[in-house]
Order: sequence, then structure tokens, then C-alpha cells
Amino acid sequence: MIYSSLLFIYGFFPLSLLIYFLLPKGMQRTGLLLMSMVFCGAFGTKYLLTFFGCTVINYTLGRIMGQMRKNGSRFTWIPLVAGLSADMLMLFVFRARLPGILKPSFAESSFPLGVSFLSLSVMGYLMDVYRGKCNAERNIVSFCLYTMYFPRLIMGPLLRYDIFRKAVRSRDPSLEEIGVGMSLFVKGLAKKVLAADNLFMMYNAVRSVEISKLSALSAWLGALAYVLCLYFTLSGFADMGTGISYCFGIKLVQSFNYPMLSSRIKFFASKWHMQLICWFRRYISRPLKTLTEKPWLRDLIFVFSWCMAGFWYKFDLGGLIWGAMIGGAMLLESKIIKKKILKATGMIYTFLLVQIFGVFLAGDSAAGSLHYIIVMFGGTRQLADSFTIYLLRSYLVILLVSVYASTDLFRNMMMRTGGAVIRKVITAATPFIVTAVLLICTVFMSYSGSSEMILMQL
Amino acid sequence: MKKKTNALTAVFSLTVMFVFLLTTIFMPKKKTSENENRPLAELPELSSDNLSEGEYTHGLSRYFTDHFAGRDVWISAQALAEQQICESIVNGVYISDSRLLDAGVSQRQVSMTYADYINRYAEENSGAVYMAAIPTSVGVYGDLLPEHLLSNSERDQISRFYDGLAGSIRKIDAYNILKMLSDNYIYYRSDNKWTSYGAYCVYRTVIQKLGFQPTSYDKYTISHITDAFRGELYIKSQYMRSKPDIIDVYSYPEGTEILSCTGTDSSGNIHECSIYNSSALETPDMYRFYMGYGYPEYNIKTSLNNDRRLLVICDDTAYCFIPFLTQHYSEIEVLSPEYMEGGIESYTDTDEYEQTLFIFGIDTLCENGEEFNSTP
Repeated sequence: MIYSSLLFIYGFFPLSLLIYFLLPKGMQRTGLLLMSMVFCGAFGTKYLLTFFGCTVINYTLGRIMGQMRKNGSRFTWIPLVAGLSADMLMLFVFRARLPGILKPSFAESSFPLGVSFLSLSVMGYLMDVYRGKCNAERNIVSFCLYTMYFPRLIMGPLLRYDIFRKAVRSRDPSLEEIGVGMSLFVKGLAKKVLAADNLFMMYNAVRSVEISKLSALSAWLGALAYVLCLYFTLSGFADMGTGISYCFGIKLVQSFNYPMLSSRIKFFASKWHMQLICWFRRYISRPLKTLTEKPWLRDLIFVFSWCMAGFWYKFDLGGLIWGAMIGGAMLLESKIIKKKILKATGMIYTFLLVQIFGVFLAGDSAAGSLHYIIVMFGGTRQLADSFTIYLLRSYLVILLVSVYASTDLFRNMMMRTGGAVIRKVITAATPFIVTAVLLICTVFMSYSGSSEMILMQL
Repeated sequence: MKKKTNALTAVFSLTVMFVFLLTTIFMPKKKTSENENRPLAELPELSSDNLSEGEYTHGLSRYFTDHFAGRDVWISAQALAEQQICESIVNGVYISDSRLLDAGVSQRQVSMTYADYINRYAEENSGAVYMAAIPTSVGVYGDLLPEHLLSNSERDQISRFYDGLAGSIRKIDAYNILKMLSDNYIYYRSDNKWTSYGAYCVYRTVIQKLGFQPTSYDKYTISHITDAFRGELYIKSQYMRSKPDIIDVYSYPEGTEILSCTGTDSSGNIHECSIYNSSALETPDMYRFYMGYGYPEYNIKTSLNNDRRLLVICDDTAYCFIPFLTQHYSEIEVLSPEYMEGGIESYTDTDEYEQTLFIFGIDTLCENGEEFNSTP
């Protein structure tokens, strides 16, 4: 039962809201946890057990570490290493394409959606406790809620434990918050159902043609469709999660800040999946950088942390290369482009570079991706063919709308426009727009009941 | 102002969610969907088994979706909307201006199980064996599909299948016959299958190979049985703007009469029936008008006294083809492996027939071929 399904939107979600608001405030946290466990269990009790087991192990190790720290023990690193290896192991068992013998049978048949986020969250928690940045949690209910909180279970925003704890404590549910939450949720839903699903069809159409028969322009369109689809899938789920959470009065942060129209790779990177990138900076590059003063080593560490982020996305060489290229491009940028370049030039350069990098995330193998990039630059000696025209004719509207929606142009217009009238009209129309979009998304989900395409299993 | 609109947003969206939740729960439930021509999902049973893998939720989601308030309206709206904003593919059906086509044709793989079976059959029986693989509408009208959906055409699928057949089997090139006549109404617009006219065109060639002169077209009286046939591609896509189809009956009053037609069900009971099942016209699945009783075996006896008997082994693509054959044989035995339990030999003695005709839609030949696994 993922967020973009009829059963969730017209079943689980309204019911959970009803229960939540009927409960007295003191019980709400436990109520949320129980509902989250039901949500988790809906993917299978095996899934619930995995999550619960992971929670208990990390909770216990956190407690042990907290106690050891208090006693001034020199061996606090032992539970840390144990915990990190357990979490890493979990991540690898589920994500890596291991040969049959190495892969335990329970990990074979099903993939617990969100396990990649879970492992990062708990690893971050352990490291924070180790460094004293965060107190070890005593209350297991609170900790369970952190790991299983259903609005962030499926690729929702990745949060540090202390931030989450604060958000839950200062929750303030109200009708207005539900309104804000629903607007966000519907925005995310539209990103997923209207944009991402259709872009995926387009990407699939390009992928179904042999690479050596593609024309350059078709290849570019395919890459564009993939990158946009990835952006709308990830940010759609993040928005849906944040929106649901707002309805419960728990304010989480945004994950994406319109990265697609940036004038530097640097700015793109700082707006793309912010919490996730922040995690890799906080727990990988920053601690490593304290070890050395040499600038070239520090640069290497910087690129390495991006490689890790890329690897986390894909769990293969392609992901690693994607990370290395983004990190490398940022390094080069900081060394070479000292002067200000024209904003428009910067935007075009960033946009194109992001498409090219994206090919490595999309491809099944690094060699295949390389071949694809060669085709993008005219490897088949064909600029465009009838397929390009077919793609443009079929998808022009969706492409234009989604490119526009992926930029911050609309938000800027809302914030900066001189005429307060437009702003007022749009604000007044919001309730109608939100309801209409919700109904339109329902139309698109009505046949199969859900839109489950997720592009990446995270 | 901002606060008020937020509250209003909340009220609106909550109303929508709860209205559909409550109507979905409390509306009377239907067992089958007429529009989609299929039984609707039932509430799954709770057990530790289906909980552990999430099967239960899957079933529940299926149930909730099937019984969602106003489902029929929602899905026809989906077909219209999807066709507007992206490629014209709705639920695996390609919507062209003139007809609906199966968009998944390239994903099909020819299964050699059928070819092996027919080879074995030809070896073990002394009679002549004929094989006709009939393309579906996407085979003949594939040009309407965008290129990337057509990497593996039905022409290739059929020739690959024929390559797998032994030399002694006489193969009928239905593909080229139909392809040449593609300007005529030989395929339904909303279904994968051929029309009676398409079947007639192939019959002219088949019957000559079987050793008869075909009945000429002008001898037939053609009557339109219905002009409201909605085929399986329509049912799948629910694309309302597609035109309904016409079902025809070709009768030859001066020709041979059908004396009896009996169907045997899988438990061996014999039923009186007719080669045309008029009661099917009252149901959404009108194609069952052609012998669509779901019996694995039919036996047709005609007034002709030439002692010629024919065994036809086929799927339901061939059912509209059978009426043309009745002009030439005193007895026709029709077997449909897809409705059978057990092998063909339990229904009839295959060695008694001088001629055996296999007619299958190429889409059937591409499935896994389980029903053919029994040895002859």
C-alpha cells in the first residue's frame, strides 16, 4: 500500500486521521506508532519484523553507548561499530545483487521499500549518540516511531533523530495544518501520478529501441525523460510524506528545492535531495576531512562522499560514476569558473550536464551508458528521425509542463509578483485546485488502483 | 486569508476522501463487472500465510479498487485523459484513429511447445495435418503502431512458428492473405480477432488445400446480427470513443444443412447446442456468439452424405471459421485444448480422421502452452 494508491488515499489515510484526532493528546504518539506498525505490516509481517528487529538492535546499542559515555568508558566505539556493521549488512543484504548462495532466502522474494532510508537514519542516530550530538533515547515508543513513522517510511524525508524528536514534541495539529498538508500531499501525488508515470512511459519508449538505432535527439529526449521522472518520483514521494505528516501536525522539512534550473552544478547539488546529501556530508565527508589537512586529500574525500551517495542510489558502478561526476564537476567548477558567468549560460550548461550524468543512473551497465552518451552526441550519425517526431508529438505537453513545474518559476512569480491581486486569486482558488487535482489523480489511478512505478528501489 | 483557505482546503479534501471511503464501504457490492466483462475481486481471507508476504494487502487493494465508488466512470475518464496527455497507450492498448490495437505484441514470444505437439501429432497419426496460424489485428494493421512497439512483428512470430513445424505438415499462409485484404472489414476495430469476412477470405484458400471448391461469396446471405459488439481491446482500455463493431452471419440457404450440433463439457455430459449462441448477444462478451459455450468438444453433423470427416483443433479465434467448413463435410469434430482437462485422446480417436486442421491465433501460440502438454 504505497501513498499513491486508492486504498491509501481513500482508506488508510482518512481512517488514520480520524483515529488520530479522536485520541486524547497524550495517546496520539502511541496511536501513531500503532498505525505505523499496521502500515508496515501491510507490506507483510516479515517486513514489519525486519523493521522492528532493526529498531530494537539500534535502540539497545544506543542505550548501551549512552551509558558507556556517561561512565567515561574508552570502549564506546565497540557498540558503534557493531551497530553500523549490522545496519550496513541489512542494507547490503536487501540492496546488493548478491549471488543466490549469499542472499538469504527472506531477502530474495520481497524488497522492503524504504529500507535504504531506514539504514541511513539509524546509522546517523548511532553516530550522533557516539559523538554526543544527541542523547540516547530511553523511550522505545519514541524510537520506534522514528524508524517506522509511516509518512516517511516510503522514501519520505530523511531526518536526524533529534530533529524528528523535536518535531513530534512540538506537534500542533489543526484544521489549517491539515489544509497545508493536503496541498503538499496532492502536489506530491500529482508529481508522481501525472508527471512521473507519464515520463516513465516516455523513457520506456526510448529504452525499447535498440541504442544503435536511436537518433541523437531521441537519445536526449530519453535522458531528459529519465532525469525528470527520477526527480518527480523522489520529490513526489517526499512531498506526499511531508504532507501526510503535516496533517498530523508534525512538520518535516522539504527534500528538494527546485534543483532542475540551477546556474551551477554546485547549486543543483545543494538543492537535490537535500537531507540525503546532507547525511553524506555530515557522516562521511566531514568526519573524514578532520583527519587530514592536505587540500588534494580533502578534495578526494569530497568526491568520495558523492560517490557513496551515488552508490546508495543504484548499488552499482553506474551510481558510483554518477556520484563521481557530480562531485568532480563541482570541484572543477570551484577551481576553474572563478568569474561570474551569465545566468542563462550557466543554466543551460547545468541542465545539459545533469542529463548526461543521469544516463549513468539510468543504465543497466556503465558500458551501456557510455554507448548511450556517444549516441547522444551523434554516434549514429542521425540527428532526428520519425521516432523523435513521434515522441515530441505524444509527449510535448507533458514535457513542457513538467519542465516548467520542476523549476521555481511559479513559486518566484507567487512570491515576487508586484500585483497582489494574482496572489490573492491563486490563494483563494487553492482549495478548489487541490480538490480538482486530487480527483484528476484518482482518475489516473482508477484502473489499476495504484501507481507503483518507483524507478529505484530505495 | 491564508488561514481560511487552508482550512477550506482541509474541509474540501477531507470531504472527498470520506465520501468515497464511506460510499465504497457501504455501497452494495456487485459480483461481476459488466463493462469490464470479468468477475470482481473478492475480499481476501485473513490468514498468517497471506499476511507474511503482504498478499492480504494486495488482495484488499484489489478489492477496494474493483469496488471503488463509481469505478466505471473513473476508468472511462482515465482512458480519455491518458490518450490526451501522452502516448495513446491505455492499459496496454494502443488507440489509433481507426482502431484499437494490442500494444504488447513485441513482448510476446512464440512457444515451441505447440509446434512440438503438432509435430508429434503428425507423426503418430496417418491422416494429413494442416496448420493455420492466424494473425491478430496488430499483425495486419501493425503499420498503425509507432515503430518502437513493433520490434517483434507477428509476421516474424508466425514464420518462426512455421519453421518449427515438420515438413509433412501443410502450412497455410493466412498472414499474407489477410494482409493483402487489409482495406476490408476483416478485423474488428475493438478486438484482436478477425471478422467473419476475414475468416471467409482465409477459408477460400484453406478449403482448396483440403480438396474442395470454395463456396463463392455471392451465394451467401449476410445478416448483421449486432452492430454493438465491443471487443476485448475495448474492455481493456474502456476507451469510449472507439466505434462498436458489427457481427455477421454468413448463411447459404441452398447449401448443406446442419443436422445437429452437440457440445461435450469437461465432465463428459453432452449438450444440444447450435453453432451460433444467440444468448451471448445479451452479455457483454458478444464474441461468444460463435460457439461460445465454453465446451472443449463440439460435434457437428450435416446433411451432406460424402462420408468426409474433419477434425479441427483450435482456439476460439477459429469459431467463426467453422460455419464455412460445414458446407463440405458430413461430420466435423471441433476440439479446443484451452477448455480441456486431460489430453485430446480422451475426447476422440484422432486416427480415424483423414484430415486434421489446426487453427490458432498467433497470440495463443505465444503463451506458455500448458494445456498442450499431454501426449497424444
